Amino acid sequence: MTDVMISLTIDDTSVSVPPGTLLIEAAKQAGVLVPHYCYHPGLPVAGVCRMCLVHVEKQPKLAIACATQVTDGMVVHTQAKEAKVARQSVLEFLLINHPLDCPICDQAGECELQDFVFQEGRAATRYTEYAKRFNPVEDFGPDVLYVPNRCILCTRCVRFMEDVAKEPVLNVSERGDRAFIGIHPEARLDHPWAGNVVDLCPVGSLLSKDFLHKARAWELDKSPSVCTGCSQGCNVTLDLRDNTVVRVRPRPNLEVNRYFICDHGRANYRWMNRGDRIEAPLVRMNGELVATDWDTALDRVRALVRGAGGRAATLASPRASTEALYLARRLLSRFDWTGGVQVVMGEEAPLAGVPNLALRAERAPNGTGAALLGYTHDTAAALKAAAAAALVLVLDEADVAVETKGALIYAGTVLPAQARGAEVVLPLANTAEEDGTFVNRDGRVQRYVQAKPTPGMARPAWWALGELVAELEGTPHPGSASDVFDALAASTEALAGLSYDRLGLLGRTTSSGAAVTA
Amino acid sequence: MGFPHKPHPKETVVLSKYFGDAEARSLKGWKKRGGYEMLEKALAMDPNAVTEEVKASGLRGRGGAGFPTGLKWSFMPKEPKKPHYLCVNADESEPGTFKDREIMRWTPHGLLEGSVIAAHAIRAKTVYVYIRGEFTEPWTIMEQALAEANGAKLFGDIKVYLHRGAGAYICGEETALMNSIEGKRGNPRIKPPFPAAAGVFGMPTTINNVETLAAVPHILKNGAEWYKKLCLSNPKSTGTKLLSICGHIAQPGNYEVTMGFPLKDLLYECAGGMRPGRTLKACIPGGSSVPMLNREETESTLLDYEGCVERGTMLGSGGVIVFDDTADMVYQTMRLARFYAHESCAQCTQCREGTAWTTKILERILAGQGKMSDLDLLLELADNMTGKTICVLSDSCAAPVVSALKRFRSEFEDYIAGRRKPVLAA
Amino acid sequence: MSATHLPAGTEAYEPVFVGRTLEELQKVLARYPTKQAALLPALWLVQRERGWISDRNMAEVAEVLSLTPAYVKGVVTFYTMYHQHPVGKHFVQVCTTSPCNLCGAEDVVRAFLKTTGAGEPGATSPDGSWTVIEVECLGACGFATPVLVDEDFIESVTPEKVPEIVRKYR
Repeated sequence: MTDVMISLTIDDTSVSVPPGTLLIEAAKQAGVLVPHYCYHPGLPVAGVCRMCLVHVEKQPKLAIACATQVTDGMVVHTQAKEAKVARQSVLEFLLINHPLDCPICDQAGECELQDFVFQEGRAATRYTEYAKRFNPVEDFGPDVLYVPNRCILCTRCVRFMEDVAKEPVLNVSERGDRAFIGIHPEARLDHPWAGNVVDLCPVGSLLSKDFLHKARAWELDKSPSVCTGCSQGCNVTLDLRDNTVVRVRPRPNLEVNRYFICDHGRANYRWMNRGDRIEAPLVRMNGELVATDWDTALDRVRALVRGAGGRAATLASPRASTEALYLARRLLSRFDWTGGVQVVMGEEAPLAGVPNLALRAERAPNGTGAALLGYTHDTAAALKAAAAAALVLVLDEADVAVETKGALIYAGTVLPAQARGAEVVLPLANTAEEDGTFVNRDGRVQRYVQAKPTPGMARPAWWALGELVAELEGTPHPGSASDVFDALAASTEALAGLSYDRLGLLGRTTSSGAAVTA
Repeated sequence: MGFPHKPHPKETVVLSKYFGDAEARSLKGWKKRGGYEMLEKALAMDPNAVTEEVKASGLRGRGGAGFPTGLKWSFMPKEPKKPHYLCVNADESEPGTFKDREIMRWTPHGLLEGSVIAAHAIRAKTVYVYIRGEFTEPWTIMEQALAEANGAKLFGDIKVYLHRGAGAYICGEETALMNSIEGKRGNPRIKPPFPAAAGVFGMPTTINNVETLAAVPHILKNGAEWYKKLCLSNPKSTGTKLLSICGHIAQPGNYEVTMGFPLKDLLYECAGGMRPGRTLKACIPGGSSVPMLNREETESTLLDYEGCVERGTMLGSGGVIVFDDTADMVYQTMRLARFYAHESCAQCTQCREGTAWTTKILERILAGQGKMSDLDLLLELADNMTGKTICVLSDSCAAPVVSALKRFRSEFEDYIAGRRKPVLAA
Repeated sequence: MSATHLPAGTEAYEPVFVGRTLEELQKVLARYPTKQAALLPALWLVQRERGWISDRNMAEVAEVLSLTPAYVKGVVTFYTMYHQHPVGKHFVQVCTTSPCNLCGAEDVVRAFLKTTGAGEPGATSPDGSWTVIEVECLGACGFATPVLVDEDFIESVTPEKVPEIVRKYR
C-alpha cells in the first residue's frame, strides 16, 4: 500500500489526497462542491454534461473536474471568471429546451438543475421566440415514468443500467438535439434494481409512479434508517409527510449498498403507516381483553412471569430490533427458553455490478441478529416448544399461529386473530417509530432512527421489555435504546466494545472489524 | 463516374499521378507502375527505422489536425504486450473535402500499401479501413483491390479489413471512429486515455487519414530528404497536399501542390479562376470547420499549416470552398450551422443545444425576423461553444459563424434591417 | 432475461440470419475480437435483405450478438443511413451542404421531388417507388451535385439530368 499522497490547492485551500483521486472528489475535501450532473461516484465517468468546468493553472483550456486526475502541486480555481461563465453557459444551454415545469414537477425542491441555476445561472432566458423540443411522457415499466422534455441527457440512467445493473435496457436514441433516452418496445424497465434511475436522475425526468404527486420535497421530514426488506441491510432514508412515510430512498454506505436499494425495499414502507394498530395495552379481565394503562399491563406480565416455571418461548418477528430480542430473552432467562424467528424466503436478485449486493433470499432485516442472540430460524421447532411452554411471549409476529397450553403474552403493532387468546397485549412501536439496530447478513450492526411518533399509547419494545426486566431483576431502568444496546454489548462477546456512538449512522462490524457470527 | 482533370503545370503530382488511370487500380497495373516495391522494402526494415524515416520527412496528418505522423507512430509501445491496431480514417465527411475518395477510387493499392507499411511500423497485425457508408464506389474498388492483394498474399501476417460506416460525420473524429468500429454509437471519447495507450477494443491504436498513408510509400521510395525539400514556405510543413476545390470556381476538382503554395495561384491559375463575370468574395481553405477568409486574405494566404494560421484560419483537411459575389453569406453560414446541428452526437451540452440554437437564430434572421442583438448573441454562443467540449465539432460550428460575422457583418445587418428580402418562410 | 422476451401472440417472424446470410455474418465475426463489433456490418446485412430495420430485426440482431435490443436500437438511431421504417423502392439522397448548395443542390432536390412524385423530402411517392431526402456532405463536392440512388453514387447532377436518371430506375 502506497503512502504517497498528492498535495494540491483548490480555491486557496490545500488538500492532500491519494493518487488517482478525481479532482471533483478532491474538491469535496476542500469543502468545495463543483457543480455537476453526469458525474456520480457510483457510476463510470462520462464527462458529457460539461457542467464541472474549472480553471486549472497552466492548462490552456478549462478542465472537467470529473475526469481530471489530481497531480502534485496542481492549483485549481473553481470560481475563476472564465469557469463561471462557462458553467453559466452550460446551464443556459440546458434550459433552452427544458420546460418551465417546476410548479408541476415532482423534483422541485430537490432538483439539481434548480439548485445550480439559482447558484450560478442567468436570471432570464434569451431563448425567447423559439419552440422548445416536445416529446410525450413515456411509461418505461413497473415504477418508472420518463418525461423526455425535462431530460438533460446526463446519461446517468443509461450508465446505471449498463454498468451497474449489467442489463442495458436504456439507450440514448437519435442524435443532436433530437436525442432522448430510449427503451426497446419489447422491453420494460423491470430489473429488480431499476428504481435507482429515479434517484440518479438529477431532474424530474425519470419519476417514480409510486411517489408521483404525493408530496413536495420541502414538506418532507427525512430520517436515516435501515431497509427491512431483506438481510442485506441497505441503508435508507425515510421521507415522511405529516408523519406518514411516503418514500424510501437509498442512503449512501460504501460498505453495504453503496448508493442503491432494490425495488422490493423501495416499495416496502406501506406497512409502516398501517392504521389498524393496537392503540392501548390490553389485559384479560373476566374472560375479555380490556384496555388499560401501562402500569396495570406491565404488572400483569410480571405476575405471569413470576408465577410460571419450566419452559418458556419467544416467537419474534425478524423485524424486531436487536435490543428487543435481547430483552425478550433476558426477561425469560430463568426459564428453559426457546426463541424462534420466522424468516420468509424469496428469490435473490443481485446487483451485478456491485460486489456483495443483492436483494437477499432471506426477507428479514434482523435474522442474523436473532441468530446471534440464540433464536432459531426453525419455525416448526419453535412452535413445538411454544406449545409445551408455560409462558409464550410473541414479539410482533402476526403471522404465526401460536397454540400453547401456557400463558400467552402478545406484544406487537397489530392484533392478529391468533393473539385473541392472550393474557396481555402490549402495543408496540414499529421500525419507523423507534430507535434500534439490526445485524445484517454480513454481521454488520446498523442503527435506525425514529422517524415518526408512535400512535396511541404504543411504546418501543425496548422500553416495555426494559421496564419489565428492570423491575424483575432490580436493575436500573434503561432510559434509551442506546442504554439497552450498551447492556447488550456488554453481555454479548461478538458485540463487545460497540455502542451507538461507535456505530454512528453507517454501522460497524465488531470492534475488531471481524464479522459478527452467532 | 466523374473524371479528374489533367494536371496543371504548377501542380506537384505525387499522390495524384494515376488519378484517371483505370489500369492503376488493378494489382497488375499497380505493380507495373512500381507498386508494392516499398512494402517489400519496409517489411524487411526494422519498424523503428520506418518510423524514423517518416518522422524525418515532416509528414503531418492530412485529415485536418496536422499532427506529425512519425511522432504519432512513435507513441505506440515498442514492445507490444497487447495487440496493436491501425485504423485508416476513410470517413471523409468534412464539407468541401473530396480527396480521400479519389485516392481510393484511383489508387486503392497505394492506400493499402501505405497502410500496411504503417501497420508494420507500429507493430500492428490488424488494420481496419473505416470507409463512410455513402462511398459505395470507393468501397467496391477497395474490396476488389484487397481481394487481389490477399490473393497474392502480399501482406504477410497483417490482416486488413474494410469496415463500413453508416452516416455520421462525427465518426471521422478518431475516438468516435474507434467506438464505431467497436459497434457502438459514434461518440467521441474523453482523453486521456489516448489511442496509443488504450484505443480500439482498449488496445494500443493509431488512426491515420487516407492521404497521410498514401504518402508513405512515396517517402520510403524517394527518401525523407526529398519530402522535406517539397516545401515553399515554412519548413515545418513539407510534402504535397491535395486541395479539394469546390463551390463557385471554374474548374472544381483536386489539385496537388507543394506545401506553402499560394492560395491565389491555386484558385486563379490551377482551378481556372472565378466563373465568367464573377469576383471572389470569400474562401474557406480547410474544410467548413475552419474560419472563412475574405478576398484580400484569400489572395495573400500561403497554403501550409503555419501560413493559414497566420491569416487566422487553418489548413485543416484542405477542402477549399469558394464563394463568389453571388453567394449569400448569411444563408451559407446557416447551412453550415445546420450541418453541425445535424451531425452533433449529443453528448456535450454546448454542442447538442448550441448548434441547434445557432441554426435557429440564423434561420430567423433569414426569415426577416432577426434582431441586432441576435448578432451579439451568436458571438457569445460561439464563444461558449469553443474549447469546452469533448471534441471540436462544437468549435467547428462556431468558426464559420464568428468568421462570417467578422468579415460579412453587413450582410447579416441587411437582413435584420429589412434591406434584404427574407429567403426563408417565417 | 425480460429484456429479450417476446410478448405472447406475436406473429411469426422470419429471421434474417439463416443460411447464406448467417454464413456471411460468421465471416464478419471472424474479423473482430468482440461480437459487438459486428453490429454495424450485421445491420447493413439486415437492411440489404429487408430494405429497412424493424424493432423485431433489432431484437434478432441483439440475440445473435449477445446484446440487448435497446442497445442495438440506440446504435441504429445514431446512424442516419439505417432506415427505421420502410422506404420507397428507390431511395434518393441529395447533398445540400454549403459547397453543393452554392452550386444549385436545392434545385436538384426540387427536380427529384417533382419528377418522382415524392412531394416532400422524406415522404414516399404514392406508387411507393421513390423516397427523396436531403443529406449532408457526400464527399464529392467538386462534382456537384452528387446524388445517391440506392447504392449508386451519381456525380454532377443538375436539374436537367434528373428526368433521365429517374427514367433509368423506373
